[in-house]
Amino acid sequence: MRVLAIHPEKCTGCLRCELACSYVQTGEFQPAKSVIRVSPFEGHTSYAPYTCTQCAEGWCMTACPVGAITINAAGAKDVLDDRCVGCKLCTIACPYGTMFYDPGTRKAFKCNLCGGAPACAEACPTAAITYEETWTGDWLGDFAHERTARILEIR
Amino acid sequence: MAQRHLIIGGGTAGINAIRTIREEERERSEIALVAAERPYSRMVLPYYLDRSIAESHVYTATPRVLADWGVTSRIGRRATALDTQAGVCTLDDGTTLEYDDCLIATGSSAVRAPVPGADGRAVHSFWTLEEARAVLAGIRPRSHVVLVGAGFIAFTILNSILSLGARLTIVEVAPRILPRMIDDTGAGLVARWLADHGVTVRTGVTLTRIEDAKGGKRLVFASGAPLACDLVIMATGITTNLEWLQGSGVGVNRGVVVDEHLRSSVPSVYAAGDVAEGRDRISGEAAVHAIEPTAQEHGRVAGANMAGKDVRYRGSVLINIVEVCHLDVASFGAWDDPKAEAASGLMADRPAYRKLLWRGDRLTGAIILGPSSDIWTTNDVGMLKGLVQSGVALGRFKAHLMAQPFDVKPAFIASRTTSRLLDETILGRPAKAPGDTPVAV
Ligand SMILES: Cc1cc2nc3c(=O)[nH]c(=O)nc-3n(C[C@H](O)[C@H](O)[C@H](O)COP(=O)(O)OP(=O)(O)OC[C@H]3O[C@@H](n4cnc5c(N)ncnc54)[C@H](O)[C@@H]3O)c2cc1C
Ligand code: SF4
Ligand code: SF4
Repeated sequence: MRVLAIHPEKCTGCLRCELACSYVQTGEFQPAKSVIRVSPFEGHTSYAPYTCTQCAEGWCMTACPVGAITINAAGAKDVLDDRCVGCKLCTIACPYGTMFYDPGTRKAFKCNLCGGAPACAEACPTAAITYEETWTGDWLGDFAHERTARILEIR
Repeated sequence: MAQRHLIIGGGTAGINAIRTIREEERERSEIALVAAERPYSRMVLPYYLDRSIAESHVYTATPRVLADWGVTSRIGRRATALDTQAGVCTLDDGTTLEYDDCLIATGSSAVRAPVPGADGRAVHSFWTLEEARAVLAGIRPRSHVVLVGAGFIAFTILNSILSLGARLTIVEVAPRILPRMIDDTGAGLVARWLADHGVTVRTGVTLTRIEDAKGGKRLVFASGAPLACDLVIMATGITTNLEWLQGSGVGVNRGVVVDEHLRSSVPSVYAAGDVAEGRDRISGEAAVHAIEPTAQEHGRVAGANMAGKDVRYRGSVLINIVEVCHLDVASFGAWDDPKAEAASGLMADRPAYRKLLWRGDRLTGAIILGPSSDIWTTNDVGMLKGLVQSGVALGRFKAHLMAQPFDVKPAFIASRTTSRLLDETILGRPAKAPGDTPVAV
C-alpha cells in the first residue's frame, strides 16, 4: 500500500500541507479543517507534520457502532458521512489522536489519502511528505526525541 | 458434520462475533442466532431520539445481512436455560437448540430505582429501541423532562432531550453528577456548564415516590420540595443479563467470568460484551466494562476463537466520551485509582480541565474536559488513550506532562508511542472494512 511517508527534517513549517488538505477535504482554505497538522518542536526551531498512519487495526473503524468507517480504494480508512451519527467513539478509540470532529456538521472526519492523490504531498515544496509504496512507520519519533531539550527544561 | 455455533444475543458483541466467525473459519460452519430484539446498536439511540437519524439507521444486521452470512435466526426469542452438559439451549417458547459451542452475549438491562410509581405511566428507562420510541413519542416542545440519575447513560441523551425543545431537570442521589465517570473537579465544571445551558441539577436528593399529578407526574423526595414534570426517564443503572444462566454450571461473578480467550468456566461456552467479566488491561484485574468498544473487541476475539483460531486478548481499556452542550467530557483507564500519582490542570479562560494519573512513569488513567470545537481537545483525547493503552514508559517526559497536561502531543511523539502502537491488532491481522456488513472486524 502507498502511504504518506513523513521526513520531518525537511519540514520548514510553511503550512502549505494544511492549506492544501483543507481545500481538498472541504473546498475552502481553512487550516482549522485540515487533517494533517504541523507541530512545532524545540520552541519553533523545527516543525513536523503529523497525520493518520492508516494503522492496521483501524481502531476508529472497528469502534464505529454503525460501520461508518470503511477502507477506500487507496487503502485509507474513510468516514462515510451519510452513515456517521457523530457519536465520537472513533475520536476516543484512535490511539494516535488523528480523528477529527466537525461540530458544524456533527460528523467525524479524518485523512482518507484524498482517495489516492494526497494533496499534502503534492503541496509540500520540500518533499517532507511523500506518497510512497512502503511500510507505515513512526516517522516522527526519533526526530522529536532528539528535539526535546526545551520540554525537559520545564520542571 | 459442520460445527454448530450458537450466538445468544444480537447486540454489538453477538454481531461482531458472527462476522468474525465467517471471516476466520476454515470450513463453513452452521451459525444460529437467538436474540430477544432485532439487531441494532443501542449507543446510537440518542441520535434517533434527537431525530438526526431515522429508525432504520439503528439496525445493524438486517435480515439480508443475516441471510448473506447464512445465519439461522430466532429473533424475538429469549434464551431461558443452558444445559452445558448436553449442549442444548432452551428458548422462551419451549423450543431447544443444540450447539457445539455457544457465545453468551446477552448484554445488560436498565434497572429502575425501587420506588412506588417507578413503573407508572410516563416513566421510562432508556436502554432499548422500544423505550426510545416511547420517550420520543412522549416528549413535546416545552415538555418538562426529569432524568433520574446523573450517570453516563443519562448524559448520552441529555443533548437529544434539549434539542427536542424540552426543559430538563436532573436529579441524583449522590452528592454530585457523573460519579462513575469523572472526578469531583470535573463534575463541578460540568454542573456549572449545565446550569449555564439552562439545565437544572439537584444532587444529593433521594427519590421516594413518583405520583400522577394533573396531566403530569410529581416526584417526591425524602427531603426538599417535590418536582412536577411531564415525563420521567430513569437512568438509575444497569444490570448484566445473567439470571437465565442459573443452574447452567457457567461460572459467574459480576458477569460471566472469562479467560483471555473469552472462554467461560465451561470450555464450549464463551461470553462477550456487557455480560462478560473479562480483564481490565490497565489494572490486570477482572472487570465488567459495559461499553461499546469492549463489546466489539470481546465479540471479535470470541468469534475468532470459536472459528478455531488461537487469539489471546490483552484486556479492555475503559474509555468513555460524552458531549454535553458542546463540552467534551472523557475519561480513560484507571481515572479513579486512589493509589495513583495525579497531576491536573485547569484553564482559566475556558472550560478545560485535565487530570493525568500515573503508576511510575506510565500513564494509567486520564480525565479530559474541553470545548468540542477545540481540535486539540479531540486530538488529545485520542493521544491520551494511546498513552494509557500502550503503557509506554514516559521516562523524562512524565515531568513535562505533569507540569503541562495541556501539551500532550510532543510527549506522545517523542516517547515513540506510535512505534509501540503500530504493531498492535486485536486479531493478529489488519482489520477488515465493513463492506456490505454492519461491522468492521
Ligand atoms: C442510550 C445508550 C447510550 C450509550 N452510549 C454509549 C457510548 O457512548 N459509548 C459506549 O461505549 N457505550 C455506550 N452505550 C453502551 C453500549 O451500547 C453497550 O455497552 C453495548 O451495546 C454492549 O453490547 P452487547 O452486545 O454486550 O450487549 P447489547 O448491545 O445490549 O446486546 C444484547 C443482546 O442480547 C439480547 N438478549 C438479552 N437477553 C437475552 C436472552 N435471554 N436471550 C436472547 N437474547 C437476549 C438483547 O435483546 C440484545 O440483542 C450506550 C447504551 C445506551 C443504552
Ligand atoms: S484515524 Fe487513528 S485508528 Fe483510524 S486508521 Fe488512522 S491512525 Fe488508525
Ligand atoms: S463519530 Fe461517526 S464515524 Fe465516528 S464512531 Fe461515531 S458514527 Fe462512527
